[in-house]
Amino acid sequence: MLAEHPSHLQSVKRHIILVGKPNSGKSLLFNQLTGLRQKVANFPGVTVELKSGQMGAFEVVDFPGTYSLSTLSRDEEIAIEKLNEAVNSDVTALLVCVLDATRLERSLVFAMQVQALAKQHGKAVVFVLNMIDEVRRFGHHIDTQALSKALGSPVFALSAKSLEGVHEFKQALPELVERADQLLPEHVSEDEISVIQRSQSLAQEFGIQTDVVLKRQNRIDAFLLNNMLGGVAFLAIMFLLFQSIFTWATPLMDGVEEGIGALASAVTGMIGPGMLTDFLNDAIFGGVGSFLVFVPQIMVLTFIIGVLEDSGYLARAALICHKPLSYFGLSGRSFIPYLSGHACAIPAIFAARTIESPRKRLITMMTIPLMSCSARLPVYALLIAVLIPEKVYFGGLIGLQGAAFFGLYFFGIIMALVVSALLNRFTRDNESLTDMPFILELPTYRLPHWKPLMHRVLNSGKQFIRRAAPVIFMVSLVIWFLGYFPQDQGLQNSYLGQLGHWIEPIFEPMGLDWRYGVAILMSFLAREVFVGALGTLFGIDGAEDNLVGLASQLQQDGLTLGAGIGLLLFYVVALQCVATVATLRGETGRSRIAWGLVLAYGVLAYIIAVTVNTVIG
Amino acid sequence: MADSTMTLWQLAANQTAKVFGLAEAMSPEVASRLRQMGFYPGQSIHCLRRSPLQGPLVVQLGDCVYSLDKQVAEGIALHP
Ligand SMILES: Nc1nc2c(ncn2[C@@H]2O[C@H](COP(=O)(O)OP(=O)(O)OP(=O)(O)O)[C@@H](O)[C@H]2O)c(=O)[nH]1
Ligand SMILES: [Mg+2]
Repeated sequence: MLAEHPSHLQSVKRHIILVGKPNSGKSLLFNQLTGLRQKVANFPGVTVELKSGQMGAFEVVDFPGTYSLSTLSRDEEIAIEKLNEAVNSDVTALLVCVLDATRLERSLVFAMQVQALAKQHGKAVVFVLNMIDEVRRFGHHIDTQALSKALGSPVFALSAKSLEGVHEFKQALPELVERADQLLPEHVSEDEISVIQRSQSLAQEFGIQTDVVLKRQNRIDAFLLNNMLGGVAFLAIMFLLFQSIFTWATPLMDGVEEGIGALASAVTGMIGPGMLTDFLNDAIFGGVGSFLVFVPQIMVLTFIIGVLEDSGYLARAALICHKPLSYFGLSGRSFIPYLSGHACAIPAIFAARTIESPRKRLITMMTIPLMSCSARLPVYALLIAVLIPEKVYFGGLIGLQGAAFFGLYFFGIIMALVVSALLNRFTRDNESLTDMPFILELPTYRLPHWKPLMHRVLNSGKQFIRRAAPVIFMVSLVIWFLGYFPQDQGLQNSYLGQLGHWIEPIFEPMGLDWRYGVAILMSFLAREVFVGALGTLFGIDGAEDNLVGLASQLQQDGLTLGAGIGLLLFYVVALQCVATVATLRGETGRSRIAWGLVLAYGVLAYIIAVTVNTVIG
Repeated sequence: MADSTMTLWQLAANQTAKVFGLAEAMSPEVASRLRQMGFYPGQSIHCLRRSPLQGPLVVQLGDCVYSLDKQVAEGIALHP
């Protein structure tokens, strides 16, 4: 076919399609083949969108995992539609079906369906027996030649993790594409019953004994899913997660702060006093610098979520949470989007695609913005440092500030549950009759794959800076100019001060003056701006020691407890992120929902803040 | 189905049984998915644990461990 038209070949890169059962290692293999960094995690259904990358003369496409070619949830529907398109297309050179060699039977059911579909369209399939390192650890050997003969398609054994066999596979690919039309199997199983039965007998012949594979997993589950201990372990893990954001990150944060301080005095010392020094001190080191301090916390959070994802615990957490969450109209699968929502709402909203029921999916998406994402971290950390004394108990194990942090995250979760319950109650639709049931595969426990995890951690810091720094820089710049001029008149009489007094009445019921008001309004661009904007504003105000720490300045300035807590809760609830609104609009398909949420959460946040300020005073 | 059959939801922890079939009330999509996940007549199924408050149960079926909620488990009939 295409091989006879080399001119066509040059214009369009031919595609190699990666498909397979969920959690079989497609994305990791994709990363090894293309050098890209697609998300890899140890629970079924991580990849929800097609992703393509270059490998030599080919383009490799990573597909979401599916158990079969018939669809249940929306992500599968999309995946299977795309798969049908791909087998129909002339651009597709080869299908690579990835099998989890430790779960041969389940992998084969899907593999045979793909094989049959591909044959209908004259496309060849190559099977990859992934996780061969684990098979070896169990002391088992799979006869790939015999399996290949039984299946009628080439079989490659490899490990995308230890890289064993990957090089050979990569080298073999061009040649496989070349003779793809000779690779069509003679016999494929078309109907469901024969697929299931053949998979079973092949798995018995070639696979590992299932009890051997599942023994360790079941032993760990006996503890982590135990009715009593499992619940305790779950709470302990979640508490540790939030504590560590504070305690582990503190030395790193101090380091960054000192570094910025040293840099600031070195630079300004060289220049000498004057407007430029004022500008550097207030806008650059005070504004942009005060936000950089929080990068370590974001990296620690990413690290812990990464460990949870890679270990296989997340699927257990989803199971533990299923019943409690179902009281609020959610599913156990809502747990994973909720947890990733603590890093960033955008990937979390995408992750909600794996929720089986459309209604639960919508409710989950609408409440994800209430999870305290990492952009709120700087705001929380700053205000907690101002309001809560730095006391520790139990030999440094539990800190008061860490507990306050936990409280804020907890408040966000409670709000999400309350809103979910209300949405569930007051929006009825007939969809709930056809709601898909909850079935979740529990994956093997694995040690995290450290290198990619570290890469992801560093990347989260980098991305945070890249996304927020330009906005913060611009805002700091504008605020500084408006606040510094007319010169030597003080902040109160500056242009910004004059503007500020105009908006002050809105923020007065919250117990806040106009400087906070400006910072809050700016936060609707991106929440991270809050700290930078305050840093600049207070920098201009107290030019003497603006590098001592923004927190101590706010303390001296006399932020009351009520106003401070109100402000914190305001940031928990308000939806201040343009990118999240855009994602919500895309995923729900309705911009009314997205903007409605901005308004509703904004009003709710304001009411909460005013109430707290009035009650606590 | 005969009265003598029990459903997966009635399977106690640490008990093993064989799948008999799927409830007719189940939508064809869900039924087909369940079969492809291994809930197929004759397959032996082992209940690993039950959760409190009628939470999901955990079963081992072939080479996979699944967690299912009451709604699905009640639609899977077992040999007595
Ligand atoms: N030991 C071992 N683990 C592997 C291997 N390949 C992948 N993994 C692990 O298996 C898990 C799943 O890998 P992914 O690449 O995310 O799987 P996927 O097929 O893309 O999964 P979905 O996108 O959910 O369908 C991760 O924890 C990987 O680190 C392998 O060859 N050996
Ligand atoms: Mg994937």
